[in-house]
Amino acid sequence: MLRQPEEKIKAFADALLKARNQVGQCQKCFHLTAEKECEICKNNSRDKTKICVVADSRDLLALERTREYKGSYHVLGGLISPMDGIGPELLNVTSLVERVTKEGSLEVILALTPSVEGDTTSLYLAKLLKSFVKVTRIAYGLPVGSELEYADEVTLARALEGRRDI
Amino acid sequence: MTKKRLLVIGSNGIGKSNLLESVELLGSLRSHRSSSDQDLIYWDEKSAFLKAITSDKDQIELELRRKGGRKAYKNEKIVTRQIDLIGPLRCVGFSALDLLLVRGEPSLRRHWLDRVVLQLEPIYSDLISRFARLLRQRNQLWRRWQDNADEDFEALLDAFDVQMALVSTRIHRRRMRALSRLQPLADAWQKRLSKDAEGLKLHYVPGAFLEEGEEELRFRLSIEKQLFSQRVEERRLGSCKIGPHRDEIEFLLNGVSARRFGSAGQQRTIVLSLKLAELELVGEIFGENPILLLDDVLAELDPIRQLLLLEAVGHKHQCLISATHLEAFEGDWKADSQILEL
Repeated sequence: MLRQPEEKIKAFADALLKARNQVGQCQKCFHLTAEKECEICKNNSRDKTKICVVADSRDLLALERTREYKGSYHVLGGLISPMDGIGPELLNVTSLVERVTKEGSLEVILALTPSVEGDTTSLYLAKLLKSFVKVTRIAYGLPVGSELEYADEVTLARALEGRRDI
Repeated sequence: MTKKRLLVIGSNGIGKSNLLESVELLGSLRSHRSSSDQDLIYWDEKSAFLKAITSDKDQIELELRRKGGRKAYKNEKIVTRQIDLIGPLRCVGFSALDLLLVRGEPSLRRHWLDRVVLQLEPIYSDLISRFARLLRQRNQLWRRWQDNADEDFEALLDAFDVQMALVSTRIHRRRMRALSRLQPLADAWQKRLSKDAEGLKLHYVPGAFLEEGEEELRFRLSIEKQLFSQRVEERRLGSCKIGPHRDEIEFLLNGVSARRFGSAGQQRTIVLSLKLAELELVGEIFGENPILLLDDVLAELDPIRQLLLLEAVGHKHQCLISATHLEAFEGDWKADSQILEL
């Protein structure tokens, strides 16, 4: 960095500052955005009857890269972890329930990591929502292109658990 | 090593156990002493490096780093799956700590059994660490939310109950299965070591009421129900009373508790029988005799038991034995052994 011309460094610093000041959270889904609502929430061609719940914006971006999902999202802002003092009240849970009831959602898809904290959050949300909306969870399985032999046992066991009819 | 048996002799703190522990680490990828790599790396060093060449000419290397993350190599090729590494150096350890197995804390017996299950099913380590995490999270939940228990709190407990019931079921069943496989072997060794005077029974006392039969779902739902109904008590005590963390394994000699009524000598014989059973079971399953690591323990046995162990192990297993003094060994142990003085 010391070898770079001063203007370049200044532009870089300004950009960082601008990002810090401008980027906030979408009022609806809590994804990162510079405006009130994010691009996905504003986009009318997206299926608003489906809400995919993720822990943070990085997970959302990963799902977006698949270009397979055409519904909307809801970013929780973390996972339930009593050890770290994180209970549901610190996450965007109330807003999720409100959205589901207000927008008349048909399906909530839980896309959280299969850790203890992720599963706890999934089970908690499922219980909360399941009386008025269909709740599903993404499957855990083998990465495509990997040979069975090279999958580790934990992944294999989970894939086996989530098996279905063909 | 030039002979089947290696006696490592040296004063305290010179590194005898280190040598044995490194073999254990290369063979099982874990140490009985510590579960954290931080504790295995020398003070002030950034990493630790282990290398072994086996008689099959396999070269196994393991690198531990203070920052975390391990790197393993077999014949100079990087290895990413545990299973590819475990095998050439499969071993069973026996240390002075094991002598407390019969009369010590129940957690000692649970850890012993867990090490056996891990040998049989490496995936078990995932269950164990998951359960430990669930328990910690659940206890924290009680601590933090006890004062303002609302609907949310109950819902969170429900979420933990579901997961704990599933993981508990799997741990209970694996422990039960391993014990029933060890049972006949341990009993046979006990009979042999006691000249047919004593029969040994390994009695599993689970930390939850377990349903009969094989159906996992019924097992699981029953544990879920038990977790639910202990909540009032859990609130009072601040800890969960149901689950594999409350398991106990009783050793019965001719039907009588060896922990409460066995003599010191009988208790040591039981430990020997258990270790020999473990050695036999691991050998039976993998079709290859595991290496026996005797860390500072042989000298703790009286001459008769030393000879019994020698006779039992014979020349089937490669042995690494550590002690402070060579005099502690019976003559037969010294003969035909390679001696390494540190």
